[in-house]
Amino acid sequence: MWKEIGGREAGQIRPNSFANRVKSHRVSTLQLSNNKDIISPHKGSINSLQVDLTEGRYLISSASDASVAVYDVQRATDYEGAGLIGKHKSVFVVDKQHGHGHKFAISSAMWYPIDTGLFITGSYDHYVKVWDTNSTQVVMNFKMPGKVYRTAMSSLATSHMLIAAGTEDVQVRLCDIASGAFAHTLSGHRDGIMAVEWSSSSEWVLVTGGCDGAIRFWDIRRAGCFRVLDQSQSQLGRRPPLLRRSAMSKVSTSKSLSVGQNLSGKPRAPQRKSNGNGVKQAPIGRIPGKGSVRQRLHPGMLSSQDRATAHYGAVTGLKVTEDGMYLLSAGSDSRIRLWDVESGCNTLVNFETVRLQTSKAIQLATTQDPAVVFVPCMTTVKAFDVCSGKTCLTFRGHYECVNCCWFSSQEQELYTGGNDRQILVWSPSRFTADEMVDHFNSIAVYFTYNIIFHPHVLKDVKPIIINQHLSSLNGMDMQDAGPTQDQDNWSD
Amino acid sequence: MEEERGKVRTLIEKATNSTEPEVDPRLLKAIKSVVRYSDSELRLAAQTLMDLMKRDHSQVRYLTLLIIDELFMRSKLFRTLLVENMDQFLSLSVGFRRNLPLPSPQAVASILRSKAIEFLEKWNASFGVHYRQIRLGFDYLKTTLRYQFPNLQANAARVQQERQEREMKTKEILLNKFEMLRQNFSLIKEEIQSTIDEILECLDIIRVKEENMLLDPIDDEDFEEFHSSELRQIRLDSLKEGEKVHENNDNKVVFDALRELYKLLETKHLVSVQEWISVLIRVEVPDNRVRDSMLKEFIDIRNRLQAVKKKCEESGCALVNNAKHHKEDELEEDFWEDGKIGSSVNGSSSAPSKHNNNLTVASTSGEVTDKAPKGCSGKFHGNESLGHDKGKNDSTALRSKLLAEAPVIEWGSFSDDSSVKRDVLINQRGMEFENHWGRVDYDAVIPAEKIAELNLKATLYKEEQVEIQPCRAPLRKGGLCQRRDLEVCPFHGPIIPRDNEGNLINQNSSIDETPKNENSPMDESFLDLKSDLGEQLVKQAMKNVQERNKEEARKRKIDKQLLNRAKLAKVREHNEAVLRDAALASTSRSEAIGEEAEYTNGKRSSTRNKKQTLASMLRKKVTAKDRLAQRLLNTRSRDSTTRQLTMGEDESYREAFPNQW
Repeated sequence: MWKEIGGREAGQIRPNSFANRVKSHRVSTLQLSNNKDIISPHKGSINSLQVDLTEGRYLISSASDASVAVYDVQRATDYEGAGLIGKHKSVFVVDKQHGHGHKFAISSAMWYPIDTGLFITGSYDHYVKVWDTNSTQVVMNFKMPGKVYRTAMSSLATSHMLIAAGTEDVQVRLCDIASGAFAHTLSGHRDGIMAVEWSSSSEWVLVTGGCDGAIRFWDIRRAGCFRVLDQSQSQLGRRPPLLRRSAMSKVSTSKSLSVGQNLSGKPRAPQRKSNGNGVKQAPIGRIPGKGSVRQRLHPGMLSSQDRATAHYGAVTGLKVTEDGMYLLSAGSDSRIRLWDVESGCNTLVNFETVRLQTSKAIQLATTQDPAVVFVPCMTTVKAFDVCSGKTCLTFRGHYECVNCCWFSSQEQELYTGGNDRQILVWSPSRFTADEMVDHFNSIAVYFTYNIIFHPHVLKDVKPIIINQHLSSLNGMDMQDAGPTQDQDNWSD
Repeated sequence: MEEERGKVRTLIEKATNSTEPEVDPRLLKAIKSVVRYSDSELRLAAQTLMDLMKRDHSQVRYLTLLIIDELFMRSKLFRTLLVENMDQFLSLSVGFRRNLPLPSPQAVASILRSKAIEFLEKWNASFGVHYRQIRLGFDYLKTTLRYQFPNLQANAARVQQERQEREMKTKEILLNKFEMLRQNFSLIKEEIQSTIDEILECLDIIRVKEENMLLDPIDDEDFEEFHSSELRQIRLDSLKEGEKVHENNDNKVVFDALRELYKLLETKHLVSVQEWISVLIRVEVPDNRVRDSMLKEFIDIRNRLQAVKKKCEESGCALVNNAKHHKEDELEEDFWEDGKIGSSVNGSSSAPSKHNNNLTVASTSGEVTDKAPKGCSGKFHGNESLGHDKGKNDSTALRSKLLAEAPVIEWGSFSDDSSVKRDVLINQRGMEFENHWGRVDYDAVIPAEKIAELNLKATLYKEEQVEIQPCRAPLRKGGLCQRRDLEVCPFHGPIIPRDNEGNLINQNSSIDETPKNENSPMDESFLDLKSDLGEQLVKQAMKNVQERNKEEARKRKIDKQLLNRAKLAKVREHNEAVLRDAALASTSRSEAIGEEAEYTNGKRSSTRNKKQTLASMLRKKVTAKDRLAQRLLNTRSRDSTTRQLTMGEDESYREAFPNQW
């Protein structure tokens, strides 16, 4: 830690990579937070969680008892255990008592991406509602043809304000907040839609996953879907970086040309696997072929391609990585698949899942730079490395199935909610050693925070100052921990 | 290092491989000492314990849980290690997941569950602040699954508080008593002193009389008895030897008084003084001087009382006379007992004042009323010997007369009417009641009406014994029927008074006989004669009919006997046939039975020899019922073939006589 700070000071480490190193370290030490308790007022299972995208301060949760609650995750409402445990009570709750509230379970609640003045809820009572946060009143109502499983808004959008709603119905509907009407009705799925996700690279692209096991890409400016992901269409591993790829392609052009021609017409996975060097061939053999297919098939795609499936069973969760290059999907076949958005191929990364919840939609979360995905696996949440599919961490804390998780990239905190009505906070373990006193921790956190996010503040602060703090704090009473000491006690 | 590594594991495995309800304390100590100085050992221990918790045996899990608790309360590292898998640990120890119930010895499993819940509560209370996982587990079990936690801490606090309250109350009571005592101290002293004085006086009187008797027997009334010098000598010797005072008509009153006083001394004063001393010892007052001085005085009083008592006993009045006047004493004792119960129930705080009342006013208990005049009479007696005795005799005569008249009532709680008037604290007997049905309410009161109700005399209905006359009909084989029935003998009809030979003492005949004698004079009328004749005829006819009936009955009886005999013969025949069949088939069967018996014996002995193991706990216990069922099933199957052969014959018989075979 200190070495890195020294390196940063000397200018050996770039600000971005320094921040990423700190963040990745913090992510790797995530554990159940003892000093942040969220008191959940819900009487049913928690179905969705989201921290607002503007301040990273307000957490919204929705539950099966038709209630929505908002918490301030940065400032505790009261403390317990001599200030050790911060209790975060809900700022407000909207439940059935509210005159215009939902009648049945709320499957998803999310903030309006631009500010926290609005939030959107979708419920099993067939309604999608838009709420004014300050007055907690319904601003807008959208009546859906069936239960609403998931709603989504694009965080990138500058030219539209569309809520994409996946329902029991086979059609995806886009609700326009500006006009209060359905802007689009996207049909193509053969069963209800469990997962809806906007692309994080283009404001026009919507990804939906249905109970029929299909994942469809929609460009909302055009009619119909332009891509259906096929689990049998795969490439081994991740796409190599651009520079390296071009170098590689030069090496292997002679080999791939002959094979690539075959592949473009009939894409079949087993064949390519038997070839053995599909990694190198795929990019080259694919891109021209797909272009032609799209031109030919769109809008009315070839029926064989239209029937492709991404999962056996329903697609229960979708998550686009922050860079917009990959799509993670979870299915009721207890698989997680990583898709290359660009090529539309299954990357065949094996995620070591044990079992996934099959009956409900699950909410995945990702982190950016150490690419990690958090997946609710029954009663635990597992963190997988996106590239390798290896399990980095397992979060055990819930006593019943976990439905949703949300990673706050600002504070590197993970929030999870499950059927046991608890919202748990997983935060990085307090710095490096346990023996550090709280005060010192907060100071250190302040410094690192400034170092990470506001480097200019510390421009002329020397590490010496920190050392002074350390030495002055070492003399403090270290034993003042709480009502009962958490120490070894071997006296019989 | 490898050896060391193995050590804690083997220790833990050894400790959990037992059927005892506790972990062997020596092994536990060894585990603790090994784990204490090495973190790697502790990690290994945690790992081993978690593995053992997964074992499919509740006993192992239970012992493991006990070890876990020991380490959990002691080591921080162990806590952090265990807390990571809290949900798993809870599901293994509490068994709250429906698909993962606790394993098989059910009795141990329930203990395991309750213990785990108890431990969780304890851990939550002491370390919950530091570990979110513990709080979560506790909350989940409590609020979601609604497990009943023993709430040990709250209970302990409550019990502590109650005890404090009780102590405060007793202190207050003691203080009150002490105040009371300080006020009444002189009175009590006086009273006791007066009793002592009286006793001493009585003793003096007796001694004086004795001397008189010895010195000049001439003026003694029973002078003639001791006429001869030899007799007198013998008597003197005996008196000297025993130092005992003879009681006679003359000094009876004195002795009575002495006895009363002695009893008063023994059962009341000594007890109350003892009580006061204990009060003084227990009470806490700001100024100790008063208390100490009072205590000193009380001890003195006690010593004096004991000395007097001893003197009484030496004089022999109390014991000997007690035996002599057993009956009277018993009566008195009853009365006295009542008084005592009353006073003890009222609490000793009110005892002295009440006693004073008794002495002066002589109100409640009969004993005291008796005693006071007697004491007086005893004093008087020294001067005038006979006159008062007469009066006393009169009074006793009156009393005996009244006693003779009075109805005899069995003694019961209703005869105690001294405690009727007031409420009674039931749980204030000076003992600490620990009631396993729940907490004891120390202020519980039985209201006076309730006591009156409870003391109500219950009368039982007693049936008057009626002597049932024997039938006394003559039997065929001689003798009389001795059956006792109320009205009708089942063999000889209605019970009629008979003479010693069993002949009817007919009302008619008796009437007949007497008129015959009376009517023997010649002036009897023809009509009378006719009627007499008629009557005789009727009698004859009746006799005939009776005889015929008798004959018939006898015949019927003989028939019946014959029939019975035939039936029995048939049954016997059948039984023999079956036995014969069985004997034919028995060769193979008996062999098999012998074998089986041997086999079961062998098995049983082998299990007995084997040490009790964990596996044996899992095995289903073979109860006597099971063994019987097995045996029955075996024999049944074996028999079925043989039975089938005799089925046809058997069945018809069974239908005919369902209760015989």
